Amino acid sequence: MNGPTPGMHLLLVIATPLIGALVAWVLGARGRHAVRQSAAVTAVITLVLTGWLIVRYLQSPEAAAGQPYATITAPWLTEGMFNIRLSLGLDGLSLWLFGLSALLSLTAVLVSWEAIVDRPVGFYVLLLVLEAAMLGVFAARDVILFYVFFEFTLVPLFFLIGIWGHDERRKAAIKFFLYTLAGSVLTFLGLLTIVLWNASHTGTVSFDIDTLTAGLAAHPLPMTADGGWLQMIVFVALFIGFAIKVPIVPFHTWLPLAHVEAPTGGSVDLAGILLKLGMYGFLRFSLPMLPDAAALAAPWLFGLGVLGIIYGALVALVQTDLKRLIAYSSVSHMGYCVMGLFALEPVAVEGAALQLVNHGLSAAGLFALVGMIYERFHTRSIANLGGIAGKAPWLAALFMLFTFSSIGLPGLNGFVGEFMILAGSFQRAWTGVSSAWQPAYLTMAVLAVVGVVLGAWYMLWAVERVLFGASREPPHAPHGHDAPGPAGDLQWYELAALLPLAVFVLWIGLVPATFLQPSAAAVRGLTSASARAFAERMQEPSTATHDRVVRLP
Amino acid sequence: MTDMTNLTDMTTSLQTFSLLAPEIALVLAAIVAFLAGAFAGLRSGWLVALVGIAAAMALAGGQPAADAAAVAAGPVLIDAFSAYIRWMVLVLGALLALVQAGDIFSAAVSRGNSAWRGGTCEEAGTFLLLLAGLSLVGIADDLVLLFAGLELVSIPTYILLALKRTDAHGQEASLKYFFLSLVASSLFLYALTCLYGIGGSTSLATIGARLRSTDDTLVGISTVLLPVALGMAMAGAAFRLAAVPMHFYAPDVYEGTSPGNAALLSTLPKVAGIVVLLRLLGLAVTGPTQAAAVGSGAVAYVTLFWQLAAVLAAITMTVGNVMALLQQNLRRLLACSSIAHAGYLLLGVAAAAAFAAAATDPVGGQGAITVADKAWTGGLGGTTATLFYLATYALATIGVFAAITYLGHRWPEWSSGSGPRPPREEITTVDDLNGLSGTNPVAAFAITVFLLSLAGIPPLPGFWGKLSLATAALEIDWNSPITFGSRRAAFVALAVILVLNAAIAAAYYLRIIAAMYFRSTKRGVQADGGLAAGLAMLACLALVFMATAQPHGLFNAAVQAGTAVRATASTTAQPAVTDNQSQHLLAQPQ
Repeated sequence: MNGPTPGMHLLLVIATPLIGALVAWVLGARGRHAVRQSAAVTAVITLVLTGWLIVRYLQSPEAAAGQPYATITAPWLTEGMFNIRLSLGLDGLSLWLFGLSALLSLTAVLVSWEAIVDRPVGFYVLLLVLEAAMLGVFAARDVILFYVFFEFTLVPLFFLIGIWGHDERRKAAIKFFLYTLAGSVLTFLGLLTIVLWNASHTGTVSFDIDTLTAGLAAHPLPMTADGGWLQMIVFVALFIGFAIKVPIVPFHTWLPLAHVEAPTGGSVDLAGILLKLGMYGFLRFSLPMLPDAAALAAPWLFGLGVLGIIYGALVALVQTDLKRLIAYSSVSHMGYCVMGLFALEPVAVEGAALQLVNHGLSAAGLFALVGMIYERFHTRSIANLGGIAGKAPWLAALFMLFTFSSIGLPGLNGFVGEFMILAGSFQRAWTGVSSAWQPAYLTMAVLAVVGVVLGAWYMLWAVERVLFGASREPPHAPHGHDAPGPAGDLQWYELAALLPLAVFVLWIGLVPATFLQPSAAAVRGLTSASARAFAERMQEPSTATHDRVVRLP
Repeated sequence: MTDMTNLTDMTTSLQTFSLLAPEIALVLAAIVAFLAGAFAGLRSGWLVALVGIAAAMALAGGQPAADAAAVAAGPVLIDAFSAYIRWMVLVLGALLALVQAGDIFSAAVSRGNSAWRGGTCEEAGTFLLLLAGLSLVGIADDLVLLFAGLELVSIPTYILLALKRTDAHGQEASLKYFFLSLVASSLFLYALTCLYGIGGSTSLATIGARLRSTDDTLVGISTVLLPVALGMAMAGAAFRLAAVPMHFYAPDVYEGTSPGNAALLSTLPKVAGIVVLLRLLGLAVTGPTQAAAVGSGAVAYVTLFWQLAAVLAAITMTVGNVMALLQQNLRRLLACSSIAHAGYLLLGVAAAAAFAAAATDPVGGQGAITVADKAWTGGLGGTTATLFYLATYALATIGVFAAITYLGHRWPEWSSGSGPRPPREEITTVDDLNGLSGTNPVAAFAITVFLLSLAGIPPLPGFWGKLSLATAALEIDWNSPITFGSRRAAFVALAVILVLNAAIAAAYYLRIIAAMYFRSTKRGVQADGGLAAGLAMLACLALVFMATAQPHGLFNAAVQAGTAVRATASTTAQPAVTDNQSQHLLAQPQ
């Protein structure tokens, strides 16, 4: 297939939202309609370019060989002690998250179609800047460039929440920013230590992620008292930043406020993409670069994942606000991803990587639908809503679809991910851990299954209240408000926002291999070092002692 | 004296004059400004200032490479370091001149008339002298010139503080600054006396050579004199940096004076403080290839140096940021933020000193990270990071104050039925910026960029600065384990304190941004601070964006300058070398 060189193609994908942001800003004088149309056109162009790039990736020899594709690099700060480069590229891990960013950005633009009346120029400009940052973070192949995008996503989202959010938007914006910043500055120190370690042991300063991974594999950070437990310290430093992003319970307290107070478009990007950054960080940095520390921490993080599943589900059960309920369901669902990742079992890890995309689709869809319900009925209170299915069948049908996706109904995407995670976890619990750990692992895996039931319980309970039953009108009438929101069933732009997501919900559910196969090798490769270290750690202590006894003279 | 020595002296002084051409241009421009104001009744003194600065820039020349031999004549020395400082002074001076010019509009509005007031020529001339003094501090290779330069910074500052505001707050500010500055200057003078006692000369090169000598007679002196000298010098520099324990004046003085003066106070004295500290540190270390302190006196000196600087850095950044969290007044808040940034700068100084100390350990420089493809032996990060951070900090800070000067005043609450319209009020508190994104979007955007840079949000220049500082701190004693109480542990802790402080600082910077973007107001902002301040704001914004996209130009200059700090002493160490020492110097592979 002809076209730009892959590297330029990738650069073009990331540059398009920025160019679109400029166009939207210039068109600002022409009013809200021109701005939102230009933003939608930009998002569509970006999505088409992204789709084309993914197709090219799948056909490329690099992908077959497990090499990064569409690499492009230019020096940024290469003076003195630094060798920081603007390096971009895609591999099996980043491919689908990259595509998801482009997909959800279109959704974010379309769900804001009628909702954003105040200062539309700023809103769409920030949304497009955020899209560029999200695409960039998954394409970055330089550790500082990754961190730049990682941090920079906070800035547009800070303004999106703080200006266009709901009642407590200012508090939510500042809390979100500070909480995530406080964690990621420690991640920054950890990444810097990795760079310095690699430089001092290989004799070349490199900030390239692949080079660092190879360098740390050859010269691992010390995991002994003599070496000051440096690997563990760096792991903890990285963990704090990534765990807050995921969020892993108990680092999740920023999430409900930020998700609930954000405008719908912001919630879609936040839940769909930004929560994935923490997991992406674990997969990209912690597991391949710090395998011994990861293996040591894995049982505890596996447990924290399960704790998140149960905790998130239980808190979601008692919510009265539909958006809060979905926010807590995100906590619960990200728990599966954490659990699957730290099971360090190939099936579970692949499932976790797929579940990132699955949760991105279902959470984004549900947040978008809650926003649409709010625009129509001006309440998110479950008690005040009812019988929507009769008034808005399309809305109800899509709500059902994303709910089923979320609770893991077979045939939909959520099932594939959750099944793989649970299967892998049981496999780990039966065969992969020492007998001392086995009861704990089995208990955790069983509790995770209980979490599936709980998830179905709160979601179906909410769906039953909101979509079915007697038609309830909220206390204040939907008319007579200032925003000319839509009434009745879904409008064209709302369908356009949701149907692409629905297509992928079905596609992944029915043909998961299409999506699993390209990322499997990359994900296995990134976690293999940790899995090996974990297997060594889990060898039966009796055999280890036995070996030692034999070796004694 | 023979004719021959007279001739040599004359050549030396001629060469000195030619090296000092930019400073002489500044002083000449100052004289023109004073005379034109007094006799010709010229009102636009700041134009003279800008012309003078432009002339100085034209004469300044480029930055020599770090390994180029320093050009020294008499008490002055031009190397990559002094050239970096000179250019920083001139660029910041041009920006500050524009901000200061804006102050005049603002002051006229405050008094209820829009007429230009007299005296701008005197202010401009005084300001030019200040710049000349600061540039001399960077060039000085002699204690006397160093102190003269510092006083040439201080005295014009008193005058500017007293000229700008004549109300009670302004008088309090200028008096407070005056007395404290005197104390700091005298402390610093004591430090210089002690250094003279050690070196037996006012020449920095000679003092450095003496300090680095392996002569055992120094041991007795150094145990008494070195701690006194360093303690006093640190105190003197801490005042100029607004670092703990000499920080407490900053909020009061910034609040009492005009935004333009606050911009000046938060940048130029800090440059002076950092230059002095790095020059004093440079005394103890040899050339760039062996950034090691040599001799027991020098080892004691750099050890004490990093310990003092590290403690002050940790306390200063934390105190500054915690104080800033509590402020409502915009200028007080920025004063506290400038205290915190002094702490970040001190961290870089501490790292530079600690590297020199580490290089003398029995394990001999094994703390350094050595890489094949770069001329990088580690440890250069400390000075480089400090100088780079100083530039990024100064740009963003001047930008914020330029924006505040430009915004000037806002209308008070008033309805047409409630009598005559009350006079406009100066913007003083964070709440006064409420809704700025609606009333003046350009200024709101510029302030946001500056504050995010100060907070160290990537990819703005402040992030590159913090990256450099964190690298400099982490690379100290790289190959030794992190054990409690070790030097490495201290610097890892400092790096953690640095980044956590960056997160704390984000809280109050975000509060200002939130006021501008998330709140609304019915009280419009006047933007009566004049075109000059607006121009300064936009110039700062442009420079910040340039340093964001292309940081390597500034960074490379900082690398050259930071490397030259070490080269200074060795290239000029000529006189008063004992036999013992000269053997030692010869023995070193250069």
